[in-house]
Amino acid sequence: MHIPDGFLDLRICLITYIITIIFWFFAFKRAKETLTDKQIPLMAVLTAMFFAAQMMNYPIVGGTTAHLLGGPILAITLGPYGGLISMTIILLIQALFFGDGGLTTFGANVWNMGIIGTFLPYIVWILFPKGRKGMIAGAFLGAFIGDVLAAASAGLELGLSTKFLYGISISVPAMVLHHSIIGIGEGIVTSIIIIILLKSRPDLLNLPKIAPKWLSK
Amino acid sequence: MENKKMIIVGIIASIIFVIVGCALLSTSAETLDKIAEELGASEVSIWNPPLPDYEIPGFEGNLIANIGIGVLFTLIIFLIAFGLGKALKRRF
Repeated sequence: MHIPDGFLDLRICLITYIITIIFWFFAFKRAKETLTDKQIPLMAVLTAMFFAAQMMNYPIVGGTTAHLLGGPILAITLGPYGGLISMTIILLIQALFFGDGGLTTFGANVWNMGIIGTFLPYIVWILFPKGRKGMIAGAFLGAFIGDVLAAASAGLELGLSTKFLYGISISVPAMVLHHSIIGIGEGIVTSIIIIILLKSRPDLLNLPKIAPKWLSK
Repeated sequence: MENKKMIIVGIIASIIFVIVGCALLSTSAETLDKIAEELGASEVSIWNPPLPDYEIPGFEGNLIANIGIGVLFTLIIFLIAFGLGKALKRRF
């Protein structure tokens, strides 16, 4: 889902950068207020793990491939702002060193995968009851919705970009259709990680979250 | 102690992901690129990344080199995230 340079026009690049900068401002502000020594090792491990996990491209339909994004589990364990900070590190290294995602489109990529891809899974997750079944179901559904809407957002940006021959009526359904399958994959993996954490380290699910005040308990 | 174990397990899992990613699941044909191609957009390069497509120029297709790059950057990202976390906590 990494949009390279050249796919989005200047207007879309600017708008997405501005929105993303606003979220970065609040994310770093809340991180300074809420980050403790307990969250830092988990944040570092998960950021590294999802950089590595994104290197695994599994085949899906139509000769295309997909990889995990990681936003959902980052958001559930660290809070959506924590997830945004982690995804920003991953996306920045990918763009700067590997050419995976562009620099002009960096704001758009962070908005899609680091903001939509973390906030929606987190909101769905907190809406579910906090029993074992509720947590597993919330993780699956949150991850699915997060991935599909991140893809819809990328489709919207591509469709609105003047660099494309077709509009959003074609680009959004195309992205959403493919990413529904990716979303199921992300949902399954996110649920499995929740099951593992519930069994081995349930305390990691109860750490203070780096989240906006309106999303904090 | 519990955190030490988590870090070790996480790093080992990451290294396994990199090895599986490089050895078995390295072919990337992203949906977005395919759709973009169908819809008539093309990539414009404004920046020459030092390691395009996660490979060392001159060593393309070299499995050991690719795994080395993946593991090295996994560790670099771990340190960046750890350092940033510590720095934010210190309220600079």
